[in-house]
Amino acid sequence: MTALLTVDDLKVDIKTRSGTLHAVRGLSFTVNAGETLCIVGESGCGKSITSLALMGLLPRTAQRSAARLRFGDTDLTDARHARKVRGNDMVMIFQEPMTALNPAFPIGDQLTEAYLYHKGGTKAAARARAIEMLDLVGIGSPAERLSQFPHQLSGGLRQRVMIAMALMTDPKLLIADEPTTALDVTIQAQILRLLRDLQQKLGIAVIFITHDLGLVSRIADRVMVMYAGAMVEEGTAAEIFGAPRHPYTRALIDCIPQPGKTERGAPLGTIAGVVPSLIGTVQGCAFRTRCAFARTDCAASVPERAEGSHRWICIHADHPARMTETA
Amino acid sequence: MGIYLAKRIGLAVLVALFVSILAFGLLRLQGNAATALAGEGASPQDIAIIVETYGLDRPLVVQYATWLGNALTGDFGTSYFFKRPVAELIVSKVGNTVTLAVLSLGIALALSIPLGVLAAVYSGSWIDRVCSLISLMGQALPSFFLALCLVMVFAIQLRMFPASGTGSWQHFVLPAVTLGYYITPPFMRLVRAGMIDALSNDYVRTARAKGLPAHRVVLKHALRNALVPVVGLVTVQLGLLIGGSVVIESIFALDGLGYLAYQSISYRDFPVLQAVVLLLSLVYVVLTLLSDIVNAWLDPRLRVS
Amino acid sequence: MTNTNMTDTNQITAGLPGEAVKVPSRLSWTRIKDHPTLVIGGGIVFIMTLLAIFAPLVAPHDPYFQNIAARTIPPVWYEGGTRDHILGTDQLGRDYLSRLIYGARISLLIGFSAVAIAGVIGTTLGLLGGYFGGRVDMVVTFLTTVRLSLPIILVALAIVAVFGGSITIVVIVLGLLKWDRFAVVVRSSAAQISRLDYINSARAAGASTFYILTREVLPNLAPQLIVIATIEIASAILMEAALSFLGLGVQPPTPSWGLMISEAKSYMFFSFWLIAIPGVALATLVFAINLAGDGLRDLISPDGRG
Repeated sequence: MTALLTVDDLKVDIKTRSGTLHAVRGLSFTVNAGETLCIVGESGCGKSITSLALMGLLPRTAQRSAARLRFGDTDLTDARHARKVRGNDMVMIFQEPMTALNPAFPIGDQLTEAYLYHKGGTKAAARARAIEMLDLVGIGSPAERLSQFPHQLSGGLRQRVMIAMALMTDPKLLIADEPTTALDVTIQAQILRLLRDLQQKLGIAVIFITHDLGLVSRIADRVMVMYAGAMVEEGTAAEIFGAPRHPYTRALIDCIPQPGKTERGAPLGTIAGVVPSLIGTVQGCAFRTRCAFARTDCAASVPERAEGSHRWICIHADHPARMTETA
Repeated sequence: MGIYLAKRIGLAVLVALFVSILAFGLLRLQGNAATALAGEGASPQDIAIIVETYGLDRPLVVQYATWLGNALTGDFGTSYFFKRPVAELIVSKVGNTVTLAVLSLGIALALSIPLGVLAAVYSGSWIDRVCSLISLMGQALPSFFLALCLVMVFAIQLRMFPASGTGSWQHFVLPAVTLGYYITPPFMRLVRAGMIDALSNDYVRTARAKGLPAHRVVLKHALRNALVPVVGLVTVQLGLLIGGSVVIESIFALDGLGYLAYQSISYRDFPVLQAVVLLLSLVYVVLTLLSDIVNAWLDPRLRVS
Repeated sequence: MTNTNMTDTNQITAGLPGEAVKVPSRLSWTRIKDHPTLVIGGGIVFIMTLLAIFAPLVAPHDPYFQNIAARTIPPVWYEGGTRDHILGTDQLGRDYLSRLIYGARISLLIGFSAVAIAGVIGTTLGLLGGYFGGRVDMVVTFLTTVRLSLPIILVALAIVAVFGGSITIVVIVLGLLKWDRFAVVVRSSAAQISRLDYINSARAAGASTFYILTREVLPNLAPQLIVIATIEIASAILMEAALSFLGLGVQPPTPSWGLMISEAKSYMFFSFWLIAIPGVALATLVFAINLAGDGLRDLISPDGRG
């Protein structure tokens, strides 16, 4: 498989009054063409910042650096090259469909905008493409929708419009930042199914960012778990759900209610404690303050371990709970 | 929407009525209008005639009711000084003031929108600081001082524009520049704040995610949305424009309502002064009412409730 | 080893949301010096205030002493200027520097007094409207709307024309007209604060309304009030100058900067410095006050909006 997106040692620093906040601390991963990578973590772990950093959409107070940041043959650290890719081969949809569309313009205008800018061509061609895309995402009577304004559409419809808008330029990579979090549960399922179908039909690679591990199991080819701005574990969906190695991943999985296994009314698992401040340097494992298996040497540097495509960063060679189980 | 509209219009009428009482009462505060009118050293007979002519011996409430009743039919009485009907006098001056207001508003918008947008886009940077410095300096420079400086350079030394008077378009240049400059700083702050607000919106991020060039993102997606609330706030600032026109018309002897007000103050010409105070207040009341209605119409949440 | 481990743990736990990062006290010097605008603006205002207070000690001459023989002597840097009159003399031969220094007194006196009156009126109305809501609030909103619809300069001119110009009249008129911003801001803040828990507990503890308003609500508004007061003082100073310039403010021979500019109008062609000197002084003072006000606002609300 060819790597579509290569990220090597990505860092994002945000200047604040109380010091520099290291939101992303040396993240490396790849996304292959046509696969779905899920980035999972609690809020504030840096997963959304990572997606904005990939797209070059960070606020001006944030500083991005990377040893390598490539999309195909394009070097994304070069702003001029990145702009040709952004919104064209690499597109993004966001968490809040209610506010992500501009209230002042009809959706037809917003749909065709990027297409006309990146691909050129006539307005009529762009319009035809927009109608085709709206149809593809399952919006009825698409031609009439073009002249409607965002406030005339429901949240679910708006997210479909956002997806259609992203697909206009026939992209190779779609970054979806919690695209279903703000929606009702039934709409959530619809949008998720739509994304999965589109991904299979069009062969687009997807980076799906979420805090909901239950959702990940339904769509992911590969999963990356983040904690405090860094990767703690990465592997195929089977590896992560079948044999999680990091105590944090394990704790997250224990939080998912499972039909049949989780008793009705029984308390769901929670992880005690809070995410540490990302201001200043963190030495050793950032999770150790909340980890049931922490040892004193977790404060020293912790090794990255690998087993085939499965990577994790922990003092323990395998998940400690399982080691005791098997022992 | 209907209830909101009714309430809003009711409030405007109430405010207008209260303002009319103030406008009327203000000038009766210092007891004897007749003596003031007749001037120093007037004989008791003269004063008696004036009291008779203007009905100054009747109770204040009656005087007010008569005045308001007449005012509603467009009759503001006769000017003590110009010896002409006040309404006629006002109609003859209104054009000049409107011209001045429109010109200076144009100048202010032409300056404040680009500067405000620039400051918002680069907020926190040195560009923002330079823009806010310009705005602070503009606010600090007294309008009458700026007027005299402009007269010195453009009227006296360069002889490009007349220093005072009315008649040709050249007469409007210096007053409009002064007044426009005077109202630019607050406008600029409003545009900046509105743009910072608009730029922080999710749809701006969406536009950036499309890979559009920065100017398209700022000028199309953000500015369009920023201008809606700004237009409303600008109307509220029109009080500044109205007040400023009094000072500036007086300096340039530009024959508008402001200059008329200044003259009527100097000549203690109460009918004229009352009418102008009432009229200028009403302009403000009506404009804010209109801006509220337009805003309510633009904002779907207000439209529904 | 244990030692490094401990400091390291501290680093991680220091920023836990539970024990929020320590906020340095509002007006400590470390925070003030991060705001150069406040230091520069405040510094200029401080110096001008000192000059105004100690005018009799600082001014080289009597600002009212006329010397017809020494009229319109230019400032020292022009040809014909003398060391004795650094900023020259006016059309009546009075020392311009002395008049300028005494003029600062008038400006600052009127600015501060008028805003003190306006602040009391506006804050009272705003507190009442915001805290009680309902009918009281309607009356306050109504009065504010009425006040906003009156063109302030025009009304001030008319009142001064009726009662005659003097420092007292100008102070009272501006004080009675410039309370709107105080009322608007205090009203909305007071409405927010009065819904907070600790106000409710004060109420439950049987504290009187007056006590709650003055001891619990008002102190919370103090920072905002200081910012508004600063901006309003600058604006009141400009208005006094405009009124005096139009001949309907402070009366001659009192040295007010606006009046000085007005008196010099007929000499502008040959002695423009007579206009420029008080004009620049006025602009500098107002600029400095606004600069300090901006700095204060940044200090209080670091997001820097508006």
